[in-house]
Amino acid sequence: MPELKLPDIDYAALLPMLILFGAACVGVLIEGFVPRSVRNMVQLVLSLAAMVAALVFVIRRAGEVTAENAATIGGAIMIDNMGLFMEGALLVLGLVSLLLFGERTLERGGAFVPHAAVTVGSERDREQAVDSGATEVYPLALFSLGGMLMFVTANDLLTMFVALEVFSLPLYLMCALARRKRLLSQESALKYFLLGAYASAFFLFGVAMIYGFAKGVDFRAIHEAVRGSETSPTLLLIGLALVAIGLLFKIAAAPFHVWTPDVYQGAPTPVTAFMAACTKAAAFGALLRVLYVGFDGAKWHFTPVLGAVAVLTMLVGAVLAVTQTDLKRLLAYSSVANAGYLMVGLLGGNKDGLSSTLFYLVAYGFTVIAAFALVSLVRDADGEATHLSRWAGLGRRSPLFAGIFTFLLLAFAGIPLTSGFMAKFGVFGAAIAGDQTWLVIFGVLTSIVLAFPYLRVVVMMWLSEPGETTPSVSIPGVLTSAVLGIGTVATLLLGVLPGPLLELADQASSFIR
Amino acid sequence: MTVSDVLLTAVGLVAVGAALAVVMTEHLVRAGLWLVVTLGAIAVEFLLLRAEFAAWVQVLIYVGAVVVLLLFAVMLTRAPIGPSPDLDRPLGPALLVGAGTGLGLSTLFVWVFADRQVAVPETGSAQRLGEAIFADWVLPFEVLSVLLLAALIGAIVLSRREGAS
Repeated sequence: MPELKLPDIDYAALLPMLILFGAACVGVLIEGFVPRSVRNMVQLVLSLAAMVAALVFVIRRAGEVTAENAATIGGAIMIDNMGLFMEGALLVLGLVSLLLFGERTLERGGAFVPHAAVTVGSERDREQAVDSGATEVYPLALFSLGGMLMFVTANDLLTMFVALEVFSLPLYLMCALARRKRLLSQESALKYFLLGAYASAFFLFGVAMIYGFAKGVDFRAIHEAVRGSETSPTLLLIGLALVAIGLLFKIAAAPFHVWTPDVYQGAPTPVTAFMAACTKAAAFGALLRVLYVGFDGAKWHFTPVLGAVAVLTMLVGAVLAVTQTDLKRLLAYSSVANAGYLMVGLLGGNKDGLSSTLFYLVAYGFTVIAAFALVSLVRDADGEATHLSRWAGLGRRSPLFAGIFTFLLLAFAGIPLTSGFMAKFGVFGAAIAGDQTWLVIFGVLTSIVLAFPYLRVVVMMWLSEPGETTPSVSIPGVLTSAVLGIGTVATLLLGVLPGPLLELADQASSFIR
Repeated sequence: MTVSDVLLTAVGLVAVGAALAVVMTEHLVRAGLWLVVTLGAIAVEFLLLRAEFAAWVQVLIYVGAVVVLLLFAVMLTRAPIGPSPDLDRPLGPALLVGAGTGLGLSTLFVWVFADRQVAVPETGSAQRLGEAIFADWVLPFEVLSVLLLAALIGAIVLSRREGAS
């Protein structure tokens, strides 16, 4: 029997992923052996340490990427500049949102329910209201983040599919663990799971089609087949469409966005922040790689279709955001619209489009995490008060937090001196350079529409009288304060001094095939 | 047309027919048993294509484990068992979607592959599968175990009622 030839494995390149998966396994052991009273602290410190360590190894790798050492473990993973940037961005955003997971001062026991299976409203449910929340969320978040790292560096569609599952499954689970409004939370988890399973099936079916077309699933083989194949392109187009549906579902592009408002509303707010920043970044990282590395030869086929999807996404997100009365749903529709703006940059199809999309992902991530951190502060006896009418007059009660939220909303709206302006400016500029002016026209129009719901919240907070039912703003603990601080400062800094990150994104915007 | 072509077509028809029965029957348990026929027929297809290992894995995992799991789930959640007409949907849209997808895919494959010779690789022996999994696809394979671990933890978190408080 011939010897089995193992592929070369460059452990240094895989280290960030391995650290996260390893720390998650240690976290599982901690669940078994560390006393409940200190478990939250131990898990939080372990997770943060793992992320920092992974980030250090990503940074150390930064200058060493060459065409020879980028692909590793049999070509399944491609650590090129773009992959490294995405890994770093995911780790930083994940780090910030994980701080929210650890917050225990706003609510006794934290934002997560201790025993999710206890019947809602039962005697036992009231008893567990003061219990310390489930700490399994930390290993789950680490598994998810590890999967995302693999997702953005996957160099073939099969690895990408496995990574998609690894990062999605923990998210479905975490959505079901909200301490308050548990029925809503469970509903959101089930919806997300079922629709996510559908999307995965589409993705997998698409992979099968593309295998039939290109006789391989790695991006180089696909690229060569797209350029030089005599097979009819029907298989290619159907396969690409199905794969794109799977990815568009994850970035919440219309018409595959229907899960977004329900899931964002039902999930525990820290998880919502994690999803809004990291899932979006990971899915865009993968979409960029699929379209730019694998299918750039089919650009003329997919650009008009994806352009239509982008326009629809922007319109749906902006118009439906106007009609929302719940703040988390409003932010969800804003996230849908932002997916549209990101797609505008992506469809620019040039190097600027790539780098501006990367910049947008990071800038939007910081802002959205800070926004959800603030949502978790405004609460009454029933938990978070997310209905818009409850926020009326908040500016009188606590000018500082209302001020911060106003600033974040202005950043979403794209007012100059915020990161939102620089980000939108970048993607629109790239699209014009790439002859996609029609997308920019829709982008600007929907931005104007989208400014309305943001400004309505601002007006309500500052110009209405606080009513009987206006809840108070809780004093945030250290962790939430840190998140708010980091998010707000990043939003301001990236608006005033975007240079360093732009330069970084510019250097990162190259793939190795 | 060779004997193996005829056999492939015949077994394929059995698989499709049984699959139709899975979705048409009103009894959940019968749907599960029809599924055995479908999956078994697919195993026979693998055998006819000389992929013995894949065939036996199909029998062990799908016919054995998955269907048993399915029947257990029915037993645990929907006893007593009888016909459940409430699970049926109007026939029209279902026919449209099912027939549309089926015919569309068949047309597509016939159209794309009808006049093309595809070089068939060596048959799917256990050795070749092992080489593929542990040499070419070792990372996805290992990471799948991470996925299973995450799923296990999730199942425990979601279903645990009493904690050691």
